[in-house]
Amino acid sequence: MMTEYSVEVENLGKDFGPVRALNTVSFQVRSGSYFVLLGPSGGGKTTILRLIGGFERPSRGHVRLMGQDVTGLPPNKRGSTMVFQNYALFPHMNVERNVGYGLKLRRLPKQEIRERMEAMLEMVGLAGLNRRMPNELSGGQQQRVQLARSLVLGTDILLLDEPLASLDAKLRKEMCLELKHIQERVGITFLHVTHNQEEAMTIADRIAVIADGDLIEEAAPREIYETPQTSFTAGFIGENNLFRGRIEKVEADHVTAVLSAGKVRVPRRGLEVSEEQEVTVSIRSELLTLTASPPEGDGNQSLPAEFVEQVFLGLTTNYLAKLEDGQQVLARGIGEGEGESFAPGAPLHIVWETKDGLLLVK
Amino acid sequence: MEYSSPWANRAKWCYLLGVVFCLMLPVFYTIYVSFNEFGFGSPKYKFTLDYYVNLFQNEEILNALQWTLILCLLTVVATVPMSLLAAKFYKSARNKVPFLILMLMPLFIPADIMAASLLVFFKNLNHYLNAWLGLDWFNLSWYTVWIGQILWTMPYAFVIILITMSRYRVQQTEAARSCGATAWQAFWQVEFPQIRPGVFSSCAFVFILAFNEYTRTNLLNGGFATFTTYVVNFMLSSGMEPEVYAMSAMISVTSMVVILSLIVYMLTRKELRESEERGAGTPPRSATMAGTG
Ligand SMILES: Nc1ncnc2c1ncn2[C@@H]1O[C@H](COP(=O)(O)OP(=O)(O)OP(=O)(O)O)[C@@H](O)[C@H]1O
Ligand SMILES: [Mg+2]
Repeated sequence: MMTEYSVEVENLGKDFGPVRALNTVSFQVRSGSYFVLLGPSGGGKTTILRLIGGFERPSRGHVRLMGQDVTGLPPNKRGSTMVFQNYALFPHMNVERNVGYGLKLRRLPKQEIRERMEAMLEMVGLAGLNRRMPNELSGGQQQRVQLARSLVLGTDILLLDEPLASLDAKLRKEMCLELKHIQERVGITFLHVTHNQEEAMTIADRIAVIADGDLIEEAAPREIYETPQTSFTAGFIGENNLFRGRIEKVEADHVTAVLSAGKVRVPRRGLEVSEEQEVTVSIRSELLTLTASPPEGDGNQSLPAEFVEQVFLGLTTNYLAKLEDGQQVLARGIGEGEGESFAPGAPLHIVWETKDGLLLVK
Repeated sequence: MEYSSPWANRAKWCYLLGVVFCLMLPVFYTIYVSFNEFGFGSPKYKFTLDYYVNLFQNEEILNALQWTLILCLLTVVATVPMSLLAAKFYKSARNKVPFLILMLMPLFIPADIMAASLLVFFKNLNHYLNAWLGLDWFNLSWYTVWIGQILWTMPYAFVIILITMSRYRVQQTEAARSCGATAWQAFWQVEFPQIRPGVFSSCAFVFILAFNEYTRTNLLNGGFATFTTYVVNFMLSSGMEPEVYAMSAMISVTSMVVILSLIVYMLTRKELRESEERGAGTPPRSATMAGTG
C-alpha cells in the first residue's frame, strides 16, 4: 500500500562534535513527488540527505520512510538509494556491471538482471554503452549510469545529492528536464539537493529552503518565487530588491513603511503587524521600472534614486540605480531599452505597482 | 612528453640504469663469485654449481630455509590483514595524528634496541607468567620472533596500503551500501579490488623484510636459525667460505624474484581485467584458463 508521505523527517538534527550542522528540522515528502532541498553552501542539505539515506546517525530526531521508522537502520536496510555528485561509479566495473550491481546482490536470476539492466540503460539513454568503463564516459553519461544503477533497484525513494553540479550549464539544463521526465515515468519519490535555484525551479513539485542548519520555508516553486515568506528566501531566490524599514501606520489591508529612502505603502497580506515593527519590503527586479518623473496616484509607489549603469545580458537588460543611502537597486527589463534612457548619475525614480510590494516580517 | 627530445629520454634511462647497476654491483659480483670454482678473488673462473649442491645437502641449511619460509609466510599472513584494518581505522578516525605516530613508532627505533627491549620484555613476561599462572607462553621460540617481525613490518605494510587507499573514494562504499550491500560486501566487492595492488605489494614487502631481517630474529629466536641468521653466524664462525656467496646470492635472487613477479603479475592482471570488462577481443587462452582453473 502506498503511504501518503514516503519520507517523514521529525525534529531531525546532527552535530559533528562542536559543529552544529543541522538544528532541528521537520518536513514531509508526499509519495511520488519531486522534492528539492535548496539553499546556500554549508546550509546542511547534504547532511539532511545523508541522515535520510542512513550514512550519518542523527544526533536527535527520527526518519520515517514509507511509514516505517528507519532511524536505527543502515543504508542497505532502507527503502532508498542515493545518487552522488561524483566519483561514485565503481571504476573497476563496466557500465553493465555497475548497473546490475544491486540486482546481483539480491541474487536475481541472470536473465532478469540482464533484462532490467538493459531496460534501464535504454531509459537513461545509454543503450549500447554496456561495456564501457566509467573513465571512458563523459560526466553526463556517468551521472546517467548512476541514475540507472539506483533506479533499476525499484526502490520507493531516490536521494540525489547535487547530481548535476559537476556538469556544464547547458548539459545541466537538459538533464534537469530529463530527470523530471524520468521521475514522472517511474513515479517514485525523488529527493534532490541543489544550490542552483534554476535547477530547483525546473524540476521541483515542492521546494524546501535550507540555510544555517534550519528549514527556512517550504512551498511550491511558484509560491516560493512569487510570495516568499521570509526575507532570507526573498534574498536567495530570484533577484529581489530588499528594503529594510519600520512600520509607521497599519490599515486594514495596507501598511505604510518608512524606509531610509522614503515612505511606501505595501499590501498587508493579512499579517499580524504593529506600528514601529521592523519589516522588510521586497520587490522583484522585473517589476521595478525607472522613470524620470514619478507617476501620480495610489496605484504606484516610488523612491528617489540616481542612475548607475545598464548592463545588456541578451534576453534581459539590467538597470542599476542607487538610493540616497547608497543601497543598490536592480531593475530588469526584457530586451534592450524600451523604456527611457539615462546618463550615469542622472536623478530618477524607481517605481512599482503598489500590489507588487511584498511585506516580510521574518 | 611528446615534444621532449628523445635523447633526453634516453639519457634519463641511462642514468637510472647506471645508478641501479652501481648499487647492485656488489650483489651481482656475489652471484658471479658463487658460481666460480676458485672462489673469491681468484683470477681464474670456472663455472660450478658445487657450492649450491653443498648447500642443498646441508641438513642445517635446509632446516633454516624451511623455517625462514614458514616465518615469512606467517608474518605476511598476520601483518597484512592487521595493517589493512589499521589503515581502514586510520581513514575513519577523527583523531588521526596520535594513531599515526603510534603506528609508525617501530620505524624510528633502531633494530638492535628494539630487539633487545623485546628480549627483556619477553623474558620478564615469561618469568612472571610462569611464576603466577604457571604458563610458559613467552619462552623464546619461533613465535617470539614472529611477534617481533609483525611489530617491525607493520608500519611498512600500513603505509603502503594507506597510500593505495588514499586514492579510493568513500562515495563508492556508500553507493554500494545504498545498492543494498552489507559493509563486508561493499568492502570486498568494491573497495578491495581497488586497493589490491597495495595489498599485494605490502605482502611482497613484508615477505622480503622478514626474509632479510637479522637482528630481531637472531636475538629472539631461542635456538632455531633462519637463513639470514645462519649465514651471518656461519660467516662469523668460519669466515667467507664460497658457500656464503651462494647463500647470499640465493637471498638476493629470492628478493628480486618476488618483486619482479609481483610487478609482472600486477601489470598483466590489470590489462587482462580491463579487456575482459570491455569485452574487446578475447584474452589469451592461457589467461582464461588460469582464471577459471
Ligand atoms: N563530517 C563532518 N564533520 C564536521 N562538520 C561537517 C561534516 N559534514 C558537514 N559538516 C558541516 O555541517 C554543515 C552543513 O554541511 P552540509 O554538507 O550539509 O552543507 P550543504 O548544504 O550540503 O552544502 P553544499 O551546498 O556546499 O554541499 C557545514 O557547516 C559543514 O562544515
Ligand atoms: Mg552538499
